[in-house]
Amino acid sequence: MLKVIRSVLAAFFGVQSEANRQQDFQSTSPWKFIVVGVFMTLVFVFLVGFVAWLAAN
Amino acid sequence: MGRILYAYLYAASICLIVLSTTAQASSINTSSGFNMPPGVTEISREVYSLHMTILWICVAIAVVVFGVMFYSLIVYRKSKGAKPAHFHENTTVEIIWTAVPLVILVLMAVPATATLKKMYDTSDAELDVLVTGYQWRWRYEYLEEDVSFFSNLATPREQIYEAEEKGDFYLVEVDEPMVVPTGVKVRLLLTANDVIHSWWVPDLAVKKDAIPGFINETWFKVDEPGIYRGQCAELCGRDHAFMPIEVKAVSPDEYQLWLASRREAAEAEVAGADREWSLDELMERGAGTYNTYCAACHQPQGQGLPPMFPALAGVGMSVDPDGLRAHKEIVLYGKTGTAMPAFGSTLSAAELAAVITYERNAWGNDTGDLIQPSAIRAMLESQ
Amino acid sequence: MASETSQATLHSSVSDVAAGGAAHASHGPTGLLRWLVTTNHKEIGSLYLIFSLVMLFIGGSMALVIRAELFQPGMQYVQPEFFNQMTTMHGLIMVFGAIMPAFVGLANWMIPMQIGAPDMALPRLNNFSFWLLPVAFGILLSTLFMEGGGPNFGWTFYAPLSTTFAPPSTSFFIMSIHLAGISSILGAINIIATILNLRTPGMRLMDMSLFVWTWLITAFLLIAVMPVLAGVVTMMLMDINFGTSFFDAAGGGDPVLFQHLFWFFGHPEVYIMILPAFGIVSLIVPTFARKRLFGYASMVYATASIALLSFVVWAHHMFTVGLPLTAELFFMYSTMLIAVPTGVKVFNWIATLFRGSITFEVPMLFALGFIVMFTIGGLSGVMLAIVPADFQYHDTYFVVAHFHYVLVPGALFAIMAAVYFWLPKWTGHYASETLGKWHFWLSVIGVNLTFFPMHFSGLAGMPRRIPDYALQFADFNMISSIGGFLFGFSQLIFVWVVIKAVRGGRKAPAKAWEGAEGLEWTVPSPAPLHTFDTPPAYDPQTDSPSRH
Ligand code: HEM
Ligand SMILES: [Cu+2]
Ligand SMILES: [Cu+2]
Repeated sequence: MLKVIRSVLAAFFGVQSEANRQQDFQSTSPWKFIVVGVFMTLVFVFLVGFVAWLAAN
Repeated sequence: MGRILYAYLYAASICLIVLSTTAQASSINTSSGFNMPPGVTEISREVYSLHMTILWICVAIAVVVFGVMFYSLIVYRKSKGAKPAHFHENTTVEIIWTAVPLVILVLMAVPATATLKKMYDTSDAELDVLVTGYQWRWRYEYLEEDVSFFSNLATPREQIYEAEEKGDFYLVEVDEPMVVPTGVKVRLLLTANDVIHSWWVPDLAVKKDAIPGFINETWFKVDEPGIYRGQCAELCGRDHAFMPIEVKAVSPDEYQLWLASRREAAEAEVAGADREWSLDELMERGAGTYNTYCAACHQPQGQGLPPMFPALAGVGMSVDPDGLRAHKEIVLYGKTGTAMPAFGSTLSAAELAAVITYERNAWGNDTGDLIQPSAIRAMLESQ
Repeated sequence: MASETSQATLHSSVSDVAAGGAAHASHGPTGLLRWLVTTNHKEIGSLYLIFSLVMLFIGGSMALVIRAELFQPGMQYVQPEFFNQMTTMHGLIMVFGAIMPAFVGLANWMIPMQIGAPDMALPRLNNFSFWLLPVAFGILLSTLFMEGGGPNFGWTFYAPLSTTFAPPSTSFFIMSIHLAGISSILGAINIIATILNLRTPGMRLMDMSLFVWTWLITAFLLIAVMPVLAGVVTMMLMDINFGTSFFDAAGGGDPVLFQHLFWFFGHPEVYIMILPAFGIVSLIVPTFARKRLFGYASMVYATASIALLSFVVWAHHMFTVGLPLTAELFFMYSTMLIAVPTGVKVFNWIATLFRGSITFEVPMLFALGFIVMFTIGGLSGVMLAIVPADFQYHDTYFVVAHFHYVLVPGALFAIMAAVYFWLPKWTGHYASETLGKWHFWLSVIGVNLTFFPMHFSGLAGMPRRIPDYALQFADFNMISSIGGFLFGFSQLIFVWVVIKAVRGGRKAPAKAWEGAEGLEWTVPSPAPLHTFDTPPAYDPQTDSPSRH
């Protein structure tokens, strides 16, 4: 699971080492990446929102 | 190809230099003619410096990016015998060029946040002015002062339609400017009567939408006396280009004098409704009111712009002898679901009586109806 | 139809259907009727492209009306109400009638050929999606001749100017938006079905060309936001005709709600108009630099991040409506962040050029023009994200300059690049290099003369959407107008180039460009009506753009 999160974070940042990428693409189903990806997007949005809220107050 | 590009860049820079020296003529704000005006308030100067910072950051990024790009285009041409390399990935480089822009943006976000917070802080204002956008004019109400008035475009039609020489402040001049005292924090409460407008004065760095059903707040504090000009900044229909803003900052003493003169004028206007008016008087006053408030839609000759804006000349209630009541009602109370506003709450009884009389007798309508201000006042009071 | 769709996942059976459809076309109706009923992806692609070109000229003529009126201060040629109709129709036609259909046309032609499919997954739906468009825009254009004129409230049609205060023709405008929206959604469904199901055996997602990738992501964006647009125009329709008050403050409604809904659609929409352009440039630059695309994977990631982020930046179009401070800050930060993956794209193209072996054929010229001028537009986008400064920029010509830089030398140049790039494949003939170069250089000069001065007039204080302006702005407007006419008339060269190439010219081999890669270059030029009736062999080890 932690590996998936790390891969998704790498994708967010846009940079991933070739070895890790090859490894990710060995897995048969993309679903865990999609679910974690969507979840992390929400986390990210809340994070930016939280920073904005902090800055405003 | 390199040469064409060179010539082009050269020509462009010449153009820029020529323009930067000529564009300063008849400036309507503190802009150099091609850059954002630094303005006349503390906030506007802060906004200007944010703008210049981000501008130079962008220029620097552009220089680096285009520098590498044009270097590659010139050096790695096949015609110069360049052989392609085979790399197509580099994790370090990719991390750097993602992280550097991120850092720059975070650095930029800090001062931007600070300035924005100041702009949003409307507390401790000493003067509240309610600004209402109308198609196509602004209305200012000084809430604690019992002073209110409309501010209309003052540029004559003849200048717009090329019949007269254009003045220096073509399209950015009004009949009644908004007057404010210097050194005082003025809070604006913005709303609109019909569609969305936007109140913008570049020298004050204030732009805020005036939205029907909402009240927006913003503020400014001018230190230097002067006239600061702006325009409506949100498309609001056909005369969107013709509803300018003029803010006149004067010393607090002058401001008090101005307030007194406004109140006096308002009293005289009210008193005008007590006496009998002659047809000529009403027609003359009515022509002025009509051209300022009605002609944008119903047109100077009353021909209208059907089907949106009906004609008044020769047709409808304006020529119908039995239409007088309906005519008065539509002018006073407006017509919901259309662009026809209710003028009963915004124009004086004398203006209303005059404009209705005018519409019933101008352009060959000749009904002979003569409406007295006192009758209008009675009608308004019975509501 | 039902049996078609149920089989659509099976490559071979779809190829039967497509062949059946085409057989229908070649043995059945001829002449005009054949084009009306065609289900062939290449023919439908051509229809889309021709339609888009026609719209480009109609929308362009409207732009020239605008530029003529703005040539000098004062009202000379048109009345303000007609001027407003021109700005509105110009925007609507260019966005929905020219740019979007052009990308769909390119997708139709090239996606099946790039993934080794015989046709689109849903050929008859494809025909229907196209023919909705002429109907939609026929209706839209007809409003200009109705009493009270056509839409006059800007392409963003803010309520209540577009509801209570709108001309009677507005219901027709809503109808045409619905039709164009349905067309887009159906087209997007078709593209997704094609890409996900019809790739030749062996081609994984990470082996697809970037044009296919960017279109896949664009199609998801379309499906996500077109219904929002449909919803918002339906609410307008109700407000206008059925007495509701969604956007009418007098009835308890909320005019700001309109803007939230519109821009929730509108911001992803601007990326819908640029992602496929990113894909095109990512094919052309490696071809003429004779070097593999730098950072294929990060290009895919950047496209995905842009797509996701594009849903959380919409209110940067609404900084002046009076949002709460926290909201302003949120949208400022998110907008700044979206600039990062956009920048990554540009860096990757430039790294691809670095140490390449570069030649400057016309498609490459347009792609390079894209990179430079799109970047200028992206940088002004970053400036617009700074909220306090945006208060000064908003609704001025500075914004007009920004979005024209990303859309004209951005999206439109990418489309031109694509046409020059694939014309040899479509017609079997190269486009004239000489005319193409004239077209390119005149367009570059015209575009910059038109739009660069708008940065200055906007900063100095000129609002957008006005038919007349203060004397201070006269010089820059005159330059913009001259540039506008130069750019407009230069596009006639393009028409001439295309007609010439269709009729003849230097013959192109299957692989028309020395550095070209991809399945489309394995079929003969011109591409026969049916390609890849049997799926081509594909080996990721040697054929994938992400191979090592
Ligand atoms: C680096 C990326 C970008 C950023 C940060 C950015 C930012 C912005 C902002 C903040 C505005 C609102 C300005 C205002 O009205 O005050 C804006 C307007 C606009 N942008 Fe961008 N933008 C970017 C890229 C693009 C791209 C790629 C496109 C389309 C291909 C685009 C198309 C538009 C359009 C059409 C408008 C104006 C819409 C209207 O009001 O009519 N932008 N942009
Ligand atoms: Cu306006
Ligand atoms: Cu946006």
